[in-house]
Amino acid sequence: MTMVELKNVSRVYLGQSGPVYGLSGFDLRIAEGEFVCIVGPSGCGKTTLLNIVAGFEPPDLGEVLIDGDKIAGPGTNRFVMFQEHALFPWLNVSQNIMFGLKMAGIPKREREERTAALLKTVNLSDFSTAWIHELSGGMKQRVALARALIMDPEILLMDEPFGALDSQTRDMLHEEVELVWQRTRKTILFVTHNVREAVRLGTRVILMTAKGGKILREYPIALPRNRFLEDVEVVKIASQIRDDLRHEVLRAAKEEGYHVD
Amino acid sequence: MSIEQEEQSDIAKVRFFAQGYHVWRGRAARLGFFVLLIGVWQVAASLELWNEVLFPHPKEVADAVVLGMRDGTLPQAIEASMRRLCMGYGISLLIGIPLGLLLGRKRLLDDTVGSLAVGLQALPSICWLPMAVLWFGLSETAMQFVIIMGSLMSITLAVRDGVKTIPTLYLRAAGILGATGWRFYWYVLLPASLPAIITGAKLGWSFAWRSLMAAELLYVTSGIGSTLMMGRELHNMALVVAAMILIITIGLLTDRLIFRFGESFIHRRWGFGGRD
Repeated sequence: MTMVELKNVSRVYLGQSGPVYGLSGFDLRIAEGEFVCIVGPSGCGKTTLLNIVAGFEPPDLGEVLIDGDKIAGPGTNRFVMFQEHALFPWLNVSQNIMFGLKMAGIPKREREERTAALLKTVNLSDFSTAWIHELSGGMKQRVALARALIMDPEILLMDEPFGALDSQTRDMLHEEVELVWQRTRKTILFVTHNVREAVRLGTRVILMTAKGGKILREYPIALPRNRFLEDVEVVKIASQIRDDLRHEVLRAAKEEGYHVD
Repeated sequence: MSIEQEEQSDIAKVRFFAQGYHVWRGRAARLGFFVLLIGVWQVAASLELWNEVLFPHPKEVADAVVLGMRDGTLPQAIEASMRRLCMGYGISLLIGIPLGLLLGRKRLLDDTVGSLAVGLQALPSICWLPMAVLWFGLSETAMQFVIIMGSLMSITLAVRDGVKTIPTLYLRAAGILGATGWRFYWYVLLPASLPAIITGAKLGWSFAWRSLMAAELLYVTSGIGSTLMMGRELHNMALVVAAMILIITIGLLTDRLIFRFGESFIHRRWGFGGRD
């Protein structure tokens, strides 16, 4: 059963030297419970793809279907974890986590119970009344994860959420995302520039073209879970993807007339 | 406590006192400077280089303040001015903040009403006085009108600019968290704009204060500005200086008592801006 379906989606931006294709004729089907990672060179349209599925940007052509229904704008069945944390500085940690429930009119008692449970999940119980600027980068992303999980969306969209973190913190957050996915089997669309991260987490990795916003190749990842970044198999597949990525970048550079050794 | 712990706690104590020392040294320096300034004034006045009527002694100014406070003229003047100010400035805040929030969100409104506000901002508020007197007569309403015209635009425009610089990320997060309609304005836009609202309120306050003083100077009535003008007419320079010092003091006190409170609130939550 297909959960998310992109049909012939195109999105064009006006660049300084003519049109730039964020996506063009993009087709993708993501089944329920899949963990799809999108990788590609910077400027390849990964974030455009995520923004369109989130409903932040409308596609110029084509359509996005969720369970067969065409989307029109953002909805509560999808939740986005941004590159930067996007937590509200005027609210403390637990107020941030329960904000969505408050908007949905959930009674205070229930809000607080669910928030306390999630704070425990992301190991932040001691920080429930801290202000956002008092937290480290990793703690902020954990709050952001808790805020996403409390909304219990069908689809989790993640836009390089761990790109700005140090490697130890990132390892810990990989564990947490892994746990969440194994427990809830939410459909996840995860954008990253880190190929090994994609192989470590994904059930499928999609490599995009450098220009033109298309899929270059897909790699089903059938390795057993839980995986680690250092696993030989993970490294092997990642290096293959990285080779393909390097060729793609060189090809695109040559096409533009750069001389590359 | 082990020896290391004791040493550490000693170090912490020294740091704590060092911080206090900086604060107190700053205060002492400030106090010393102003005492010195008054001393120089005292010496200059004693030399009798200028006519006593034109250059009053510090003691005469102090006497004028004490006398004015005793006979009730100064408290009355302060009360009259503050009442006008609170009414006019309060109305400016009540209109300016929501209007600024709307202008920051609604393009069409900003292109029309927003550009009108920018235009009116260029007009010094005292230029409204002749019109206000014709419309409202020699009344409190006329004064309040001048204060509103003086502060409303700056509040509105500061809030509008603040709304426009809210990170897109917050707005997108608000959307997916289900904050729509009035909830969006109340729970997201208003708190996200708080730093800008405090800046705007502060700016608006200083414009309101200036507008009021200008209006009271030009238009004989009660109030601190009128006290200043009365001093001129009576050739009572001590009263003129006393009124000026009073105007400065009220301005400073408001900044310290009201706006610092707001700024430290922002500082605590956002972790930037404000003063420590």
